[in-house]
Amino acid sequence: MVSQTETGSGRPYSPAQVRRLTDFDLTLPALGLLILFFVLPVAMLLTRSVTEPVPGLGNYAELLGSSTYLRIFANTFIVSGLVTLVSLLIGFPVAWALAIMPNRAASIVFAILLLSMWTNLLARTYAWMVLLQRTGVINKMLLGMGLIDTPLPLVNNLTGVTIGMTYIMLPFIILPLYGVIRKIDPAILQAAALCGANRWQSLVRVLLPLAMPGMAAGALMVFVMSLGYFVTPALLGGTSNMMLAELIAQFVQSLVNWGMGGAAALVLLVVTLALYAVQLRFFGTNRMGGR
Amino acid sequence: MNRSFLQIRGIRKEYGPVTAVQDVTLDVAQGEFLTFLGPSGSGKSTTLYILAGFENPTRGDILLNGETLLATPSHKRNIGMVFQRYTLFPHLSVGENIAFPLKVRRLPKVEIDAKVSAMLKLVRLEGFEDRKPAQMSGGQQQRVALARALAYDPPVLLMDEPLSALDKKLREEIQHEIRRIHQQTEVTILYVTHDQEEALRLSDRIAVFSKGVIDQIGTGPELYANPATRFVAEFIGDSDFLPCDVVSTVNGRAEIAVCDSMTVSNIPLHGTASSGSKAALMLRPERLLLSKTKSDIGLPVTVSDITFLGNNVHVATKTRKGNVLSVRLPFGHEAISGLNRGDAVWLRFDAGSAHVFGQ
Repeated sequence: MVSQTETGSGRPYSPAQVRRLTDFDLTLPALGLLILFFVLPVAMLLTRSVTEPVPGLGNYAELLGSSTYLRIFANTFIVSGLVTLVSLLIGFPVAWALAIMPNRAASIVFAILLLSMWTNLLARTYAWMVLLQRTGVINKMLLGMGLIDTPLPLVNNLTGVTIGMTYIMLPFIILPLYGVIRKIDPAILQAAALCGANRWQSLVRVLLPLAMPGMAAGALMVFVMSLGYFVTPALLGGTSNMMLAELIAQFVQSLVNWGMGGAAALVLLVVTLALYAVQLRFFGTNRMGGR
Repeated sequence: MNRSFLQIRGIRKEYGPVTAVQDVTLDVAQGEFLTFLGPSGSGKSTTLYILAGFENPTRGDILLNGETLLATPSHKRNIGMVFQRYTLFPHLSVGENIAFPLKVRRLPKVEIDAKVSAMLKLVRLEGFEDRKPAQMSGGQQQRVALARALAYDPPVLLMDEPLSALDKKLREEIQHEIRRIHQQTEVTILYVTHDQEEALRLSDRIAVFSKGVIDQIGTGPELYANPATRFVAEFIGDSDFLPCDVVSTVNGRAEIAVCDSMTVSNIPLHGTASSGSKAALMLRPERLLLSKTKSDIGLPVTVSDITFLGNNVHVATKTRKGNVLSVRLPFGHEAISGLNRGDAVWLRFDAGSAHVFGQ
């Protein structure tokens, strides 16, 4: 964090100070805790994927060779992609509105956003079930208004999962995007207007490119988080569009097949880490939400 | 000159109870360099923003070639503008920035390329087209902004304190560039600044803004030699003011008494004043004559400070009533040699260089 040039006086650190800044003796307890309760169990699970029921890569061959499992992989990517896309489409206007709102109004919207984030995940997901089911508020309202004749299938399918997960992921798109848009000088957009750019051209040629780092950071985060999501797909999704996390749970809980569960978990972990590496490569951790 | 090229007609702008601009009326000739000069909050920038279409006036109209501009949104006004802050698009290179207004106008690529290199040549930044704005100095960025604003041959170029973020030396350099580019392109320029020196250096005419009103419009020498208000006198050139008593007034000229010891007649009078009323006498430091020998027609003062300023020497003096008067003399002037703090000296001025401002 602290470099020699930041000492103000320009005086370099003494060797003792450098030692204090680079040593990690003090992180050892935390590190030990992490290894004991996090790294070790994961390693054990992953080990079981190549040892159970028989040593070898049989679990992986079965996982990647079966069309049923491949469909679950595909479905996981489709749901995550869809959630990311919808979150971006809704999140961008909200972040933009937040950035240009008067401070007091913006803080109210922020409070609503954060409040929803702090509410229990299960409670929020069940709330969506109530809203979306056949006899739920939304269907009853649409029926009452005469807009539809039969209730729309809004839950236990892709629609339900997408709605529920988008709602949960929105803050993770809005917050980094807000940070980036806030930093764009309004005078740059005025300049674009005087240059002859209409609203659409200003959006596409100036605003979106300038907001791109925030959009990419938020989108990657949402995509990666969605890949491993369990609760919402399990409650709002149907059996025909199972996601990877549900599969892992099924392997472990219902089938007590730790080998297959471990293999699926490793696949998920590898994909997640690969995407995280992409994010690090292009945006860096300390530039999340900034430029 | 055809002064009806750009007509600002009774523009007024109110923000709730605050009136930022009050009935500004102004005619600008084609090819003219007109500067809005005034302190912050005087309404000069608001007027410019109304011209740009970022603000709508509460009342009034703006006509370009006889047709109203107010019905046209900013992006269709075809007006150029250079802003106070750096507004180059940071994700585009210098060349792409200059090409931007041409691309949104969907000009053919050949034409765009030719125009971009012509513009880079105009602002003397050939070879910089692939740089990103962040790789350039503030002065260079503003020159690119100027090139971008001129690329589509706008009839009017607005400049809102474009040099205020630059240091003095760079500022003067770019002022020369702006003058050269104005002469070369003959574009009509409306320039906003709070820096009188910048206004005097650049402009054909200057409109002095104060509290949302134009106090006076004229060339630099006109404003300096004949300020219409005390505010203009204070803003253009250096000036000191002495309280005085009006003895008599005739045809816009006044006879006044200063410090009980001196009467001067035939001084131009501005504002209203009648015999017996109080007024303010304006004197310019460079128009005062200083004498070490007592004279009955001079104003007796005491030297309170002497400052050497290179080619000039600044002598601060105090009248018997405690008012401060500054005198500026060229270095080596015989009146200064041997002058010390605390010395009694006498100041004289001719009636033509002084002004009286009534209430």
